[in-house]
Amino acid sequence: MQLLIEAIGFGIASGAVIALGAVGFSVQFGMSNVLNITYGALMTLGAYVGLFLIDRGVTVWIALAIAGILVGLVSVAFNRGLLAPLVKRGTRAFAIVIVTVSAGVVLQYVIVVFAGPDAKSYGEQSGQTFHLLGMVLTASEVTIILLTSVLMLGLHLLLTRTMLGRAMRATASNRVLAQSCGIATDRVSDIAWMLSGMLCGAAGVALAITTVSFDFSLGAVFLIPMIAAAVLGGIGQPYGAMVGGLVVGIASEVAAAFTNPAYREVVAFGILIVMLLVRPHGLFGAVWATRRLMA
Amino acid sequence: MGAWEFYLVVLLVYLGTDLLAAWGLNLEFGVTGVANLGYIVTIAAGAYAYVIFTLGSPASAGDFQMYVGGFGLPFPVALAAGVVAGSVVGVLIGITGLKRLRQDYQAIAMLVVSLMAATVVSADTPFLNGNAGLVLLPNFAPLSDQDPEIQRWAYVGIVAFCCVIGYFVLRRFTTGPIGRTLRAVRDDEYAAAAIGKDVVLLRLMVQAAGGALGGLSGALLVGFIGGWSPGAWAYVETLALLTAVIVGGMGNDRGVSVGTFLIAILILQGVQFLNDVPELKALEAQFNRPALTQDLGWIVLGTLTILFIWFRPQGILPERRPKYGEVRG
Repeated sequence: MQLLIEAIGFGIASGAVIALGAVGFSVQFGMSNVLNITYGALMTLGAYVGLFLIDRGVTVWIALAIAGILVGLVSVAFNRGLLAPLVKRGTRAFAIVIVTVSAGVVLQYVIVVFAGPDAKSYGEQSGQTFHLLGMVLTASEVTIILLTSVLMLGLHLLLTRTMLGRAMRATASNRVLAQSCGIATDRVSDIAWMLSGMLCGAAGVALAITTVSFDFSLGAVFLIPMIAAAVLGGIGQPYGAMVGGLVVGIASEVAAAFTNPAYREVVAFGILIVMLLVRPHGLFGAVWATRRLMA
Repeated sequence: MGAWEFYLVVLLVYLGTDLLAAWGLNLEFGVTGVANLGYIVTIAAGAYAYVIFTLGSPASAGDFQMYVGGFGLPFPVALAAGVVAGSVVGVLIGITGLKRLRQDYQAIAMLVVSLMAATVVSADTPFLNGNAGLVLLPNFAPLSDQDPEIQRWAYVGIVAFCCVIGYFVLRRFTTGPIGRTLRAVRDDEYAAAAIGKDVVLLRLMVQAAGGALGGLSGALLVGFIGGWSPGAWAYVETLALLTAVIVGGMGNDRGVSVGTFLIAILILQGVQFLNDVPELKALEAQFNRPALTQDLGWIVLGTLTILFIWFRPQGILPERRPKYGEVRG
């Protein structure tokens, strides 16, 4: 029982990080309808930017913010320079997926060439541990959980309470109609990619904080749990992705605690495949953007 | 046997096995439109099947590696087992395409299958010796009493023979009525279904055929290199084959063959020669990057794929569109 409670604690902590990345993925997908596998390598980029800054004495949380902004900019440039033109030309969906997989591999190995293949670490995070209902969480894990919650709330308010949020939802559900209503869809789409890139970079740094050590495969490893969380919650829905992140996080950690730790990722893989086959629209159905997932 | 002659043998075997694999992937992806990002798993299945069919029982070698099976059967049987294993795994991967998901979702589901298979095989040591992989395959049995040089050239002959058979089988699928049907499924699956074609069945058939070619490729490769581990079939390996298909020309068997030669031999092997550039060696030593050339290889491949999809999506040798005579009234 104690083991289960501890595993749930770990699950909530890793679920918060997964949710952070999953929400970013969801926003991007909802906006562009492109399944962007490069997202994983961008997360790795965020983690290494964080490492670069922390090695030069920057505080972890400031590094997280800077990495977020930088990855946000890279993400906008990636969409503007490569994906959007391809979509505009009518390149087929699977060709675009292959482009994003290739771009991810290129970025990943460019990172290896500059930073090296060996495992890195942000070093020991100081601070006390918190005991809550038998769960043990470190100070940085609690901070990440709080940070995720605040960001999610912020995103929710942005999407539902502001003009920009309404414009984003309109663009996501029908681009042409949104454009003819006077929405500057290209700019709205840039903002969405910026937002999602920022979440992506922040998730990369948060991942690097919570794992003992990481290498260039960090993003590739955690991308699938994030897609699983995003699909579980229904692509394009921030709250869904948050719940999805928690479910994937807890299920993975509980499975790892009771079976082979290597099966942690297999649980997320399994959830993703089952969801795609059984309920590709997510557990709750789409609310702010209905996407055609079926052929 | 000189070093260059040995290298030539290695290149020929790699070329042959890569050709078989690229043809199989082209049949699935280029001709039928199933973006199988988990294709490498069929190759791995063929290789593992070959390994456990040729090796004796684990106990006979002193239990130094663990695996299921261990039948100690001759080469042709093991090769056939590889083909069957590849085919079965191909169908299993294809089942994700049964549910008619959007094409990019199918691709992701298959990518996940690839990652999942690698994780499970790595973690589960009693199954196929986990991350360490399996080694010490017996020598190519029918000629084991012969000179190693003759054995190696004989192996090249066997690979060449398998390629000829493979190409013949492949053409049965990519040309004629079946080929036209598959291309119809790729271009408009609703139209194909409307004229009575069973899209799901056709896709599974293609997965079985493509997987069989992958399995054959894996079995032949492992029979030559003598060992197999999860490191040999990371998901990025599928990308190398995909690059060959895209660069050569999706849906064109000859084009894909050219692409395979360019990618698998000229680029991936050419990168190895960068190791002979002293300046680069010095750089590697200076920055402690032992695998720099391989990393560069992946960067080149990824970039090539993107450039081709951007500038020339039809590839070097485009698919030939059939021309039918005009109907005159």
